[in-house]
Amino acid sequence: MARKQTKVSRRMLFTWFTLTGLIFLFAPQNLTSKFQLAFVHVFRWPLTIGGNLVMTAQTQQPLAGTAGPSEIQYRNAIENFKKTLAQQQKDFDKLYGLYNTYVWEGTDFVLADVITVTVDGSRNELTIDCRKTTGLAKGQFVLGDECIIGRISDIFPQISKAQVDLFTDPMSKIPVKIAEFKNIMKGTGNNTAKIEMAKNKVEVGENVFALREAGFLDAPMIVGKVSECNRNQENPSFWDITVAPACNIKQLEDVAVIIMNTQK
Amino acid sequence: MRWFRFALLILAVTVLQKGLLARWGSKPDLLVILLVFFAIYYNTSDAIISSFTIGFAADLVGSPMPMGPQMISFGLFGTLLAYLHRVIAIKRMPYQALAIFATSVLTGVMTHLLVYITEGESVAANIYTVVFVTSLYSSIVGPFLFLPSAWWMRIKIARFGRH
Repeated sequence: MARKQTKVSRRMLFTWFTLTGLIFLFAPQNLTSKFQLAFVHVFRWPLTIGGNLVMTAQTQQPLAGTAGPSEIQYRNAIENFKKTLAQQQKDFDKLYGLYNTYVWEGTDFVLADVITVTVDGSRNELTIDCRKTTGLAKGQFVLGDECIIGRISDIFPQISKAQVDLFTDPMSKIPVKIAEFKNIMKGTGNNTAKIEMAKNKVEVGENVFALREAGFLDAPMIVGKVSECNRNQENPSFWDITVAPACNIKQLEDVAVIIMNTQK
Repeated sequence: MRWFRFALLILAVTVLQKGLLARWGSKPDLLVILLVFFAIYYNTSDAIISSFTIGFAADLVGSPMPMGPQMISFGLFGTLLAYLHRVIAIKRMPYQALAIFATSVLTGVMTHLLVYITEGESVAANIYTVVFVTSLYSSIVGPFLFLPSAWWMRIKIARFGRH
């Protein structure tokens, strides 16, 4: 007996699929991004293996005189302590007198494993597997090798996954401080960020710190180092500063999310 | 069309694109290569279904972009390519490379245009450079991946003959 076959015209096929695409496109992004996180959750094992293979291939033996990953981590930690100390001293002198508290008091850190790292020209993000999800919220800063690497952009608590927009992402804008000058730093997408139209020239290698932000960051933390400082092409009295991350983001295996104590 | 093999192939390539290739700055877009492969070697109905499915897979690994723009752009240009193939045969490697390049550029531009329209956010300043470089890599690598794809899908393709 011949099997009955339903025939759908090509025009109908195209219309149905286009409509599906439009529904996805105009549905709220916090809903559709759950599909993306769920995909990463289901296929985390092959995705992590793939990432580890690339990291192994890209890892080079450090040459004599160059800093290895752990040395970079220690240097960043030292810079953070120095800056924190300076900030504490300033707070102490200006406002609190004898009343002072350690900046990280009441702060919680959520450790997370990096599942995928996307660093191409148009997108710079991480997908992370958080070991606990209580207290996680959008906008929280994420640390890698003791320096700020980005902020939480989306969370899927049911599967303990979160997305991190790196500060090098073209959509990222964070207030920073370089040598006492405050500016807004924007991501370029090419694993660097830029401060455009800065009024002051800064030295290459100068540390760039993320500014304190109520509820998210209690002390300035290192975010990167100045890799270039050139005059703005349109207005030569201003400077364009290029900032490179203070750690090798592509090689990160785990990160920490800063959860500030809002009751403090 | 062998749909089970198709699903496995798309899944493997999607995982490869998100896991192994994601850490490289400049890389070919394997999903666009498959889009052109299915548009060229399958009938129009199968090409339409596969184009939208590949677009959906691209959206799944396309964060932080929203879902939808790649499904629409892949579906639209995959369908157009399938119809174009009925008029002009794209069987020699240089033509296939050219088809991959053009499809990659068009899907890339349309995807970012749709994101711009829906999100209202400006896309990265260097987006056209990224799209161009990705398209170039895809067009170089693509025709060589058609042979293993055809083997997996159990179809015969005449490679070096005149058509």
